Amino acid sequence: MSSVPEIGGQALHPPKPVELQWQSFAHAIDLWNGKLHYYLGLYLLLFIWLFAFSGLMLNHHWTFDDFWSKRKVSTTERAVHPPAHGSDLEKAKDLMRQLHIAGELELGEAPPAAGRLDFQVTTPRLMYALHADLVKGVVTVQRTEVNVWGIIHILHTYSGVRRDNPHMQRTWTGIRIWSFCMDAIALGLIFVVLSSYVMWWGLKQHRFWGLVALFGGYLACGFFVVGLARLYP
Amino acid sequence: MQTISRQIYVWTRNLHLYFGLAISPFVLLFSISLIFLNHTWIPLGGPDRVRQFTAAVSIPPGLEHLEGMARVEKVKEVMRQIGVTGEVSFVRLNDGGLIVPVQKPSQEITLHIFPQNNTVTVERRNTGIWDAMMYLHKSPGPHLANIRGNWVYTRIWRWAADATVYLLLFISATGIYLWLILKAERKIGLVILGAGVISFMGVVYVLCA
Repeated sequence: MSSVPEIGGQALHPPKPVELQWQSFAHAIDLWNGKLHYYLGLYLLLFIWLFAFSGLMLNHHWTFDDFWSKRKVSTTERAVHPPAHGSDLEKAKDLMRQLHIAGELELGEAPPAAGRLDFQVTTPRLMYALHADLVKGVVTVQRTEVNVWGIIHILHTYSGVRRDNPHMQRTWTGIRIWSFCMDAIALGLIFVVLSSYVMWWGLKQHRFWGLVALFGGYLACGFFVVGLARLYP
Repeated sequence: MQTISRQIYVWTRNLHLYFGLAISPFVLLFSISLIFLNHTWIPLGGPDRVRQFTAAVSIPPGLEHLEGMARVEKVKEVMRQIGVTGEVSFVRLNDGGLIVPVQKPSQEITLHIFPQNNTVTVERRNTGIWDAMMYLHKSPGPHLANIRGNWVYTRIWRWAADATVYLLLFISATGIYLWLILKAERKIGLVILGAGVISFMGVVYVLCA
């Protein structure tokens, strides 16, 4: 008498160790894919809401978030020790230290006149326009402060670099941290999307309609990314 | 009561799944283009060569004296004559003529309109798929709101981008509900959510303090 169990006359062989290992590995991947999907979603929740909401604000001109007309502007003159040496960037940083101003520094694109230095320093809440007379040792500081809507608005685009100006570089630790956050959000969202594909594919009864939804999405998005250029060359 | 709860759960899960799949290409577009916008050193394949031609056209009288959308409408009349389509970025007066950058995904066009001799010079450049994604990410954007959306596809894209955001908000809300249903994951989820809130508040505080 055979020791292998039978169903319908067919012998049931126990899975081989390699098959068992593979099943266990696939199960672990499925499990952790699902866990990471909602762990990442939960961790990034406020960041996603910020970018989603500020994206809507940028594309619409609602009256409640009109922060620019409500900005507070003040101008002061401050005495400084004119930096003797260094590049314009180093001189600007020196003046910022003396004036206790922190933020992302941006020099004017045109070279400054002799004995003068004009630059801007920005944070999401504050914008400083500084006009330094290095001969007299005086800096005119125009300080602009925006409200919470302005901060939300600015955070969406606060990267410190522009593709049309390859010489622009981040100078402030704060903006480097924010730039890192932006990367983390982008990579996190890419992972959440890809992991959702894996989770959906595991739900056999939802494959067809899921495929319809996914195909519709790619068709609509692809129309804008590549279709428009083909349709209107 | 349990049946109603079960139905709510099933509907929420299904809507989360199907809406998520439908907007996923848009979310990928915004995420990938965000990386390109955040890292300007990443090469995009380089600009295509500029193709240029000059054509005789009938230029609407008084074009250079108009403002805002009225001027854009007249520029559109010129564009129709030469078969150019796209979103007029802005119109700038220059030496008695007008310079008009026209944009659409993966293409940049600049029109030099000369009303004195009824001619227009067209410079056209293909910018590629990555640039198209960045353009769409920033479109329509906050600038020159009075003329923005002067191309029908910009208006449709604005609608699509809005729909993506609203559905993303819906998905995140339903995601929270679906997580709360999983009792075994509540504690760890709460810790991760808390860590996310603290990270967010901390970064914003550092930036704004």
